[in-house]
Amino acid sequence: MRHVFIVGKRVITQLRHDKRLLAISLVGPLLIMYFLKIFLDGLNVAALTARYVIPFTAFIVHFLAFLLCAIVLVQERTGGTMERMFIAGFRRSEVIGGYIVGYFGLATLQAAVVLTETLWLFQLDYEAATLFNLFLVFWILAVVSVLLGIFISTFARREAHIFPFIPLVILPEMFLSGMLVDGDKLPVWGQWLGRLSPLHYANNAVQELIKGGVGLETIGRDLVILAAYAVVLLLVASRTLAEA
Amino acid sequence: MNAVEVSGLRKSYGKIQALQGVDLRVPAGAIYGLVGPNGAGKTTLIKALVGALRPDAGEVRVLGLDPLKEKWALRRQIGYMPQSYALYEDLSARDHLTFYGQGQNVADLPRKVGEILAFTELSERADDPVRTFSGGMKKRVSLACALIHDPRILFLDEPTAAVDPHLRRRSWQLFRTLAGRGITLLISTHLMEEALLCDQVTIMRQGQIVAMDTPERLMERGRSQLWVHQNGAAQQQVIPSTPAALATALHAYGLAAGIDAVHVRAESLEEIVLGIIQEQEAQS
Repeated sequence: MRHVFIVGKRVITQLRHDKRLLAISLVGPLLIMYFLKIFLDGLNVAALTARYVIPFTAFIVHFLAFLLCAIVLVQERTGGTMERMFIAGFRRSEVIGGYIVGYFGLATLQAAVVLTETLWLFQLDYEAATLFNLFLVFWILAVVSVLLGIFISTFARREAHIFPFIPLVILPEMFLSGMLVDGDKLPVWGQWLGRLSPLHYANNAVQELIKGGVGLETIGRDLVILAAYAVVLLLVASRTLAEA
Repeated sequence: MNAVEVSGLRKSYGKIQALQGVDLRVPAGAIYGLVGPNGAGKTTLIKALVGALRPDAGEVRVLGLDPLKEKWALRRQIGYMPQSYALYEDLSARDHLTFYGQGQNVADLPRKVGEILAFTELSERADDPVRTFSGGMKKRVSLACALIHDPRILFLDEPTAAVDPHLRRRSWQLFRTLAGRGITLLISTHLMEEALLCDQVTIMRQGQIVAMDTPERLMERGRSQLWVHQNGAAQQQVIPSTPAALATALHAYGLAAGIDAVHVRAESLEEIVLGIIQEQEAQS
């Protein structure tokens, strides 16, 4: 466990020193939410604002955590630092755990900043308990996203190989998770594919929470599935992260 | 005692045979050179020794341990400097040493970090991000990372490639100091002249060992051309590249007053190795 925090601390130190990456990671989502505001204002669907913007915030956290983690891990492999870590005595599970710790921090910061902007920009108001539960969903989704990034990175030999996974994995999630269109309006095959996506369960939980007056007992099933998703990805990534 | 023992090591990447049955014995406490052109199999061999790849066949023992089956016991005792810098550009030299030192549970780490920074002459820039360093400085950070836990054996893959001559000389002084402390160093290089700085050398080519000896004995396998200019005429002969052969050849002239000049041109190690390769090819 000690090694997990050593790797995590190193990842956080790197992120802290990479001011450009930090700025892009935080300013980018803020701009996207502003563009979404302009788009929704144009559509004049004020009543449906929360239904779209809160899940979209979750999507941004999911997408960026996945993308950044996948790319940085591929860089670790191509640059030789991954191999060096293993030879220096770090285990695969410790490297993965360290990345979760490091990127979890960034994802939390992103979620906090983007959610705050979203609430202010769209003039949304929730009880403290709902906000806490929303954060909980975002956090678990961030962990799943980091693990998905680690898993996908094992299929890439260089950074450019990550990008085909965006249309292959991330964009279908956006359309089939129920985030844009309610799940029951999708064709049956689409509903089944959507259920394979972690975003589906995050979206379910978020849609329940923004109705108001809903607690953990209502979203518990979705959170458990998300956590199970994380455990499965952790096990698979621990096997696929090449060491020798 | 041998620090490294390898027998019948084979590794292929698709149709390319990177190692074709390599046998190797590296004595403890020596500077052992692994010399050969790019693509000779040096990096593949080092990766097999540190447990970074799984060989197709053969047996490997480093400090008596199997690099794959007993990797956790072994990794505490080896230092590895890969061919690429393998550094985090946004971290400082001190950050790197702290990270790897913590990973290896190094006692009294701040003191140890300071000591290694001083040894590798990085103290003045210890807290600057590595991205601001020259190539030579990055190589030294990479070496420092491999040294932080006091390894018993160091694997250095092309540590002086793309390094200026001054820094190369300084690097070899550091290697010699480390060897003086009892550390075994296995150093790969494609520069033949660096082989002469090692205690023992293995020459590799196309995944095979071409020659294995001390640099002095390898040099003795070469030939020298001797010109003796006597009374205005030059006489040329080819002799073995040994001090004794040169003395014998000159005895015939008695270093008479009429000898105007003596010129000897010994084969370089590169020429000797090429000769060995040609001999082996002719035999096969």
